Amino acid sequence: MRKKRRLSNLLIDGALVLLLLFWLFPLFMALLNSFKSNRELLTNVMALPSTLNLDNYSRTLGKMKYLRSFFNTVSLTAMGVGMMIIFSAMAGWRLCRTKSRLSSVIFGLFVFSMLIPFNSIMIPLYKVILALHIKNSLIGLAFVYAGFGVSMAIFLYHGFVKGIPFELEEAAAIDGSSKVRTFLSIILPMLKPVTVAIAISNVLWVWNDFLLPLITLSDNKKYTLLLSTNILFGQYSSDWSAILSALILSAIPVIVFYWIFQKQILKGIGEGALKG
Amino acid sequence: MKAMKKLISAAVVMCLLLSLAACGGKKEEPANTGAKDVTATQAPAKEDGKDSQSSAEPKEAELNIMMSFPQYMDQWETYVQQFKDKMLAEENIKLTVNLEMPSSDQYESVLQARLTGDDAPDLYTIHSNNLKTYNEAGYLTDLSGEVLAGKIFENVKNTVSIDGKLMAVPIESTAWGVLYNKDIFTECGLQVPNTLDELKNVCKVLKDKGYTPFLLAYQEQWVPQLMTALTIGGKVSGEAKDWLERMYADNASYAEIIDIFDVIDVIMQYGTDRAMEEGSEAGSADFANGKAAMYVQGTWASNTIMTANPDFNMGVFALPVNNNQACTMVNLSTSTTLAVYPNSKNLDIALKFANYVLDDKDSSALFQSCSFNPIATVHNYETSSWVKEAYEYVEAGRAYQDLVLPNSVTDEQGKLLQEYYVGSVTREDIIKALDDKFKEANRLSKQN
Amino acid sequence: MTKKKRENISLLLFVAPAFSLYFIFKLYPAFSGIYYAMTSWNGLSRTKQFIGLGNFIEIYGDKHFWNAMLFTSKYVIVMLIAANVLALGLAVAIESRRKGKGIFRTLFCMPNMISMIIGGYMWNFIFTKVLYYLTDHWGMTFLDKSWIGNPRYAFIAIIIVSCWGIVGYLMIIYMAALQGVPAYLMEAASLDGASSWQNFWKVIFPMIRHSLTICIFWTLNSMFQVFDVIYSLTGGGPGRATQSVAINIYEEAFTGNIRYGYATAKSMVLFVIVFLITVVQLRLMKRRELEL
Repeated sequence: MRKKRRLSNLLIDGALVLLLLFWLFPLFMALLNSFKSNRELLTNVMALPSTLNLDNYSRTLGKMKYLRSFFNTVSLTAMGVGMMIIFSAMAGWRLCRTKSRLSSVIFGLFVFSMLIPFNSIMIPLYKVILALHIKNSLIGLAFVYAGFGVSMAIFLYHGFVKGIPFELEEAAAIDGSSKVRTFLSIILPMLKPVTVAIAISNVLWVWNDFLLPLITLSDNKKYTLLLSTNILFGQYSSDWSAILSALILSAIPVIVFYWIFQKQILKGIGEGALKG
Repeated sequence: MKAMKKLISAAVVMCLLLSLAACGGKKEEPANTGAKDVTATQAPAKEDGKDSQSSAEPKEAELNIMMSFPQYMDQWETYVQQFKDKMLAEENIKLTVNLEMPSSDQYESVLQARLTGDDAPDLYTIHSNNLKTYNEAGYLTDLSGEVLAGKIFENVKNTVSIDGKLMAVPIESTAWGVLYNKDIFTECGLQVPNTLDELKNVCKVLKDKGYTPFLLAYQEQWVPQLMTALTIGGKVSGEAKDWLERMYADNASYAEIIDIFDVIDVIMQYGTDRAMEEGSEAGSADFANGKAAMYVQGTWASNTIMTANPDFNMGVFALPVNNNQACTMVNLSTSTTLAVYPNSKNLDIALKFANYVLDDKDSSALFQSCSFNPIATVHNYETSSWVKEAYEYVEAGRAYQDLVLPNSVTDEQGKLLQEYYVGSVTREDIIKALDDKFKEANRLSKQN
Repeated sequence: MTKKKRENISLLLFVAPAFSLYFIFKLYPAFSGIYYAMTSWNGLSRTKQFIGLGNFIEIYGDKHFWNAMLFTSKYVIVMLIAANVLALGLAVAIESRRKGKGIFRTLFCMPNMISMIIGGYMWNFIFTKVLYYLTDHWGMTFLDKSWIGNPRYAFIAIIIVSCWGIVGYLMIIYMAALQGVPAYLMEAASLDGASSWQNFWKVIFPMIRHSLTICIFWTLNSMFQVFDVIYSLTGGGPGRATQSVAINIYEEAFTGNIRYGYATAKSMVLFVIVFLITVVQLRLMKRRELEL
């Protein structure tokens, strides 16, 4: 019996490792070939690079204006997700605690739009952005992201607040604490787990979003990483080694982010989804 | 402790990235020195100007330019810099130019969103086939009265004029047909074919000698579409002269020109494998390295081809459609043009830039560095042998003006040819689909 | 002022910032989209004619749109099964391990962090360069398929890349659910043999049923809008063979005839269909969950 079990464990382990190799294959191949010259790449994609050639990287870094795009993306993400979190925590909390028709109508309005595909509002949205004169503005775009992200975040906060005992707030209210103070000193700290989950998933979303910055940021000084990478495709479309190095470069920040925060990220995905 | 370690290693990674970025920055400098030299030599001149009229502060102005040339970003940035210097020196205008280069597959959508959003760039590039639509929507400025109008070659000017009025500055104009590898042809003792039978013979000989006749790169729809552009163009110009006119009047069918598929079949039958996995650029590189002897592709691919193999010996011939030599002609077309937005806030400066594109002194260098063909009298540089070869056809009267089909029909042709190659549609399906698409386009254009 | 009224006013104050952003950037565009869907607005002309339901009538006979819808449905169904089975299998396999849980989890989830535009281009490299290299030089001839050009294999390629992108995410959700299952039950399930298989379905599966609802809801909702993967992998080709609804809408709006109004009408239809399916699905699954 025990022997049999060890054997089946071994089989499962083997399958897992094989699948894992397959999973990492494209990343590995991209990395491997990004160090080769295009000629070297075309003659043998499987070989190890003959030298650790950083030519592609230095070329694409300069072309992409990597640092500028990187900081644009960071500030856009930070502002957008920051606003999204504060605003939806406030709204989610009150929406959950207020038992009135108005409350459920508003909540319904928020939840209803979660299914609206971005493609269908892209064109009207662009008109709104122009009317407000926030085109080519990272702050303006951050507002748009906040507007887009609040419905899901409110949905999650709403669900989370349900699980928080009401007595604490009640006690605070009896002590004469205002709603704002109750929110800041009691509720917000208790929301931390779900906040982390929301923040992380939205950081990844804003960071990886492509179409919205594409239509709103036309000034190349405001480009995000993905936009700068995209420009490179047009420039080097036959030069795979250059393209691959650009792909690696724009994947690195996310992978580093993931690597540092992986515990919170993984916990966030699992718990955020299950509690929502 | 563990978190600390991670942070430290993250910092190390960032440092590496930063140092790489620094390298990247340094590497780029030589490319910019050209532009810097210009400013450096002009700086004293500017100061002189200031001394004589020190009271006049330079006026500030802004120009938004959108172009679909991401591959020539450097060349155009340099050119814009030259223009800025020129404006400062000559007109005392301190110009800020926002030059945008969206990638080519996004270009149209970005441009349209901008135009309909009343946020149009002052100058923008469009394909010459779109000129009519854009003109009807009021997005083009009549340039007939500008200096540049007198410089453009007559046959090119026709491709960018509507009702005799010049509506855009042509930038890319080409005579094109099929590219072929001269060395392989010489080795096999082959002549350029003038009829379909001759083409078939060429293919047979090449195959017998162990060469693949045609390079197929169908991953992007516009590449197979080139075959319809050439065959329909040749067929219609040589034999069915009123076909297009009748198509626009809902009074003709693709069935009338069905024999264009004879040559398309030959190309596909004698083509390389894995065509759907081959992009246009990869195709050019493979062609340059001798993977096949012929490539249905415009001379605009020459840049990639010559980079991949600088010793490549390339020629151009007109694609035969059938056995009527009158149909064997090259395509004379203008693709990219530069348009001026009529409601631009700085229309006068925008027009100056449009004129500067065909500047007597600087234009040749720009066109040459982007390997564009000469399109105006100011272009006095030597063209490459294959361009000359294509223009020999033009001079012999064996060329036709690129047909202007509705955009949606052109796209559809590309898609259907991909499907035809894969084998999921027949000739009859294609004819029906294209007839329908053409009728739809006619209906929509009447609606407006 | 009654207590209820006061509550409502404070509610409005707290909701105002979120709601105003939400209204300006999402609700208003969505509703003005309904108006655009009833016009003949084609990106270039400045005037748009109101044509009522004309666009919707045209959609009814639009072969390409319904083909795209069929393709998308096929894609969603295969993804629902493939991605969820794979994710659940991985979750159980990794969760029942004693060692190395963390590293497996981390690495399998990694592709989910990367933009699918970037991931799609990496796979494009694999399908158009690497696999042919393996065929030609390592004799792995079974890989010699037209992965981008043959509609059938292109479909498989799209499924593979999509799974690569989302399985990690789903797996994490299943693992989180499995962690709520008492250890002795997990132990029993990791024994092999028929009893453990039954054990899993009878005992453990009902306990993680909630996560299945979430994962299916999530897959259904996001896969119906699939765009990035197909865009970077096949571009919808050959022809329109791998065109999803989102790609079809994009094509209608931004290429060829540039019909914004018609494209917006198509996106309304997509929205209604996705909405109906998810509502029905949520109802069904919720009822099942309650029954158990």
